[in-house]
Amino acid sequence: MNGKSLLACLCIIITSFSFSQAQSLNIGNTAPEIELPNLAGDTVALSSFRGKIVLIDFWASWCGPCIAEQPELLSLYKKYRNVNFSNGEGFEIYGVSLDNKKVAWQNQIVKQQIVWTQVSDLKYWSSPIAKTYGIQELPFNVLIDGRGIILAMNLHGDELAKALNQIKH
Amino acid sequence: MKVKYIKITTLFFTIGILAFVLVSFKAQQKEPWTSEQLLAPESLAKTIDNPQLHQPIVLCVGPAATIKNSIEIGATREKENLDKLKEKVKNLPKNENIVLYCGCCPFDKCPNIRPAFELLNQMQFKNHKLLNLPHNLKVDWIDHGYPVNN
Repeated sequence: MNGKSLLACLCIIITSFSFSQAQSLNIGNTAPEIELPNLAGDTVALSSFRGKIVLIDFWASWCGPCIAEQPELLSLYKKYRNVNFSNGEGFEIYGVSLDNKKVAWQNQIVKQQIVWTQVSDLKYWSSPIAKTYGIQELPFNVLIDGRGIILAMNLHGDELAKALNQIKH
Repeated sequence: MKVKYIKITTLFFTIGILAFVLVSFKAQQKEPWTSEQLLAPESLAKTIDNPQLHQPIVLCVGPAATIKNSIEIGATREKENLDKLKEKVKNLPKNENIVLYCGCCPFDKCPNIRPAFELLNQMQFKNHKLLNLPHNLKVDWIDHGYPVNN
C-alpha cells in the first residue's frame, strides 16, 4: 500500500468514526427532547422540567433489573426532590417505558407506587426514542442538569447516589 | 531435581486442562439448547425476505411479536403463556421447523426463552431453534434493518 492509499484509508476511518460519534450521546451535549404521553394520554415534554436536575430512567415492566432498581430510585427521589443543586433546583425522575402493553405498564407503576412522571409510546424496542438515545440495554438512564445538559449516563446504585451527592449544594 | 520440576509442571498443566474441559462442558450443559440450535438472525431475515423459501413458524415468547410474520404467544415466564405455547404447537408434526425468540434482554437475563425451549424439548420436537439475539431485539435485529411487523 503506498502513502496516498494509506492516507485515504485513514481519512475514511476518521470520518466514519466522527460520524458514528455524532450519532451517539455524549456528556456535555444537550439531551434530545422527548415528548411522549403519560398514562392519562397527556403529552409531557422532558424540557418541561428545565431548571431541575432530571434523571431520565429508561425501563419496562418486562425488565427484571429495571423493576429491582425502582425502590432505590424512589428513595433517591424522596431524598433529593427538594434539594438545591449547583446546576438545578430540585430533582425529578422522568420515566420512559419501553413497554408495549399499557396494562402491564400501568400495573407495574401501581404495584411499585412510582410517583414520578411516566411516559411511553408503547412501541417496545421499536420506539424511536430508544434509537435517538442509542439504548443498547435496559435499564439505562441519563442524568441532566437544569439546562438539559447531560451530566452522566447509565449510573446505577451507589454510583448514582454518589453523583447526586457530588452536585448538591 | 529438574525431572521433579517437569513432573509437577505437567501435573498442574493436566489439572488445568481437565478443569477447563469440565467448566466448558458444564457451561454447555446449563442451557436447554445446543449451539446448533441457535439460529443466526441474518439467516432468518433472509428467509422471511424471500417468500419462495419454506417459512418456519416463528413464535415470540417475549413482550411483543416484533419480527415480521411472527406469532405472539406472550412472555413464557408466566405459566399461562407457557400453556398457550403448548396449545399452539401440540398438533404440529414433531419435525416442524419452529423458531422461538424473545429479545427483551440479554440471553443471560431473559426469563422467557428457557421455559419455552425446555417445553419444546419435552414435547420432543426435533427441528426447533432459538433465534440468536444475545443482546436484545433492538441491537441484534431492528438496528440491522431486518423485517419487522408494521
